[in-house]
Amino acid sequence: MTEQAASTAVRRAAPPTGWAMFRYRAARAIRTTGPYLAILGIGGWLLVWWLFSEVWELPRFSKMPGPVAVLKDLFAFEPFQGISVFTAEYYEHIYVSCRRIFFAFLIATGIGVPLGLFMGWSRTFRDYTFPILETLRPIPILAWVPLAILMFKGFESPVIFLATLASLYVTTLNTLLGVQSIDEAYFRAAGCLGSNRWQIFWHVVVPGSLPFVFTGLQISIGVAWFSLVAAEMVSGDWGLGYLIVDAYMNNVTVPMVIGMITLGFVGWFTSALVRLAGRRLMQWRTAALALEGR
Amino acid sequence: MAQPGSASVNQGKGAISIRGVTKIYDPEGVNVMAVDNCSLDIPAGQVCMIVGPSGCGKTTLLNAIAGFHSITSGEILLDGEPLCNAEQPLARQSADRVVVFQNGALFPWKTLADNVAYGPIVQGRMSKTEAREKARENLAEAGLGDVADKYPGEVSSGMARRAEIVRALINDPKVLLLDEPYRAMDALTKSIMHEALLEMYDRTGVTIFFITHDLEEAIFLGDRVVVMTTRPARTKKIVDVALPRPRDYRILSSEQFRVLVNEAKDAVHEEALKAFEAGERELA
Repeated sequence: MTEQAASTAVRRAAPPTGWAMFRYRAARAIRTTGPYLAILGIGGWLLVWWLFSEVWELPRFSKMPGPVAVLKDLFAFEPFQGISVFTAEYYEHIYVSCRRIFFAFLIATGIGVPLGLFMGWSRTFRDYTFPILETLRPIPILAWVPLAILMFKGFESPVIFLATLASLYVTTLNTLLGVQSIDEAYFRAAGCLGSNRWQIFWHVVVPGSLPFVFTGLQISIGVAWFSLVAAEMVSGDWGLGYLIVDAYMNNVTVPMVIGMITLGFVGWFTSALVRLAGRRLMQWRTAALALEGR
Repeated sequence: MAQPGSASVNQGKGAISIRGVTKIYDPEGVNVMAVDNCSLDIPAGQVCMIVGPSGCGKTTLLNAIAGFHSITSGEILLDGEPLCNAEQPLARQSADRVVVFQNGALFPWKTLADNVAYGPIVQGRMSKTEAREKARENLAEAGLGDVADKYPGEVSSGMARRAEIVRALINDPKVLLLDEPYRAMDALTKSIMHEALLEMYDRTGVTIFFITHDLEEAIFLGDRVVVMTTRPARTKKIVDVALPRPRDYRILSSEQFRVLVNEAKDAVHEEALKAFEAGERELA
């Protein structure tokens, strides 16, 4: 490469943005084996499911609705078992669950992140709070259900309380771990550059713990989903968890599976949103990781 | 490149007196003496190189001056004012003594410019805009103008280390404390770093307390090389380096340089042997 060509190449290395970036990434992705393997994996899984439940009707699978039955109902204008992408109920269930997750995740993050930061920053505060957290944490969410129903009125608040509780522990502990993971040298550097305690909190503790915080938030939104569904199964009127348990009660199996698959996709989507927010907030890290080729 | 206006306001300040300092660590009830009755006077504006076997207590001394660790007895003075002593064993951390760390401690979440601007901003000495402007100026002076908006993870370790020194010097410190800053670098990068440091020193005249393993580095940079004994650390030998300043790499091949290196080498070798025989685990 001539020197001039090299310097143009370097100038071109400025990353594209927005739509151009998306197109660039998509073009690069279809040149790798990744997407094809993913399609093969999903296809293989569907095939096995179809063969087991609809073709061979193996003993344990014969009562299970097969992929053809599920997909036929999911995309039917008039679904045989009551729920499809063309019924308003389907979206109402999704909406109600998402709304609950939104509030639960917001509350859990709003309490968990500051709690974890302060626990990591102040030993005294940690000594006060850590034993309580560790005692409450092993109590399964389902064990909280009766108390939640007694403490809160209606359908909405107990369900949100339960989903919040589970993700609160995850967020708090990961944030605490994040603060503890910060290299002592950064605290010392900040100290000898003349920072006071609060400046160290804002400029070292908060940004330094962010990678762990976002790992925690990704786990926490997953945990929120499964405690939400458990809670909706016990006490609910709407929501994907309610859809699943209601279908079971009414002996219709297809909506049950539709509910499960929908949960999977919505859950994946929310985790992706959290990851995206994390990348936005930690561009310093994205840049460094990209240089390492990750 | 030297500008008349950029001379430190602290020129002629930054004399450090270490008087009978002892440090005993007490992990799990087993007393380990890291520094034993160590005394050393560093005049203002001197480049003082500290050399000694690994784990001998050099860093303990630096930590005591910076205010990261307390001392057990003795006292340390800065321009005659006590930093720490028996009554107040832990020195207050302040930007008049800035440390450059062994593994680098630029904040990875701030750009180089924001890293450099950090000190003046948190001390309230400059407004944010002023500090950023000054940071860019100083980075450009150190040849880092093009990467001022990059994050530390995006630049080479040599650039990062140079930026860290710029971040220290923007505060007009009286003393610059360096803890083996060029340890992990190859010889070529190292020599470039040395010249950059010397240039910054010639411009600011800040007192430098520099810990190293590398004798040639010590003689090339220092006005004085202090050889420490194996743990507990005491001063074993002081080699005065009467090489003229400003220095450049050509001095490395001079006869005078060889003689000085050999003089220091004998003392260091003796201590390294002692440390080895004492079964000290080499940290390197």
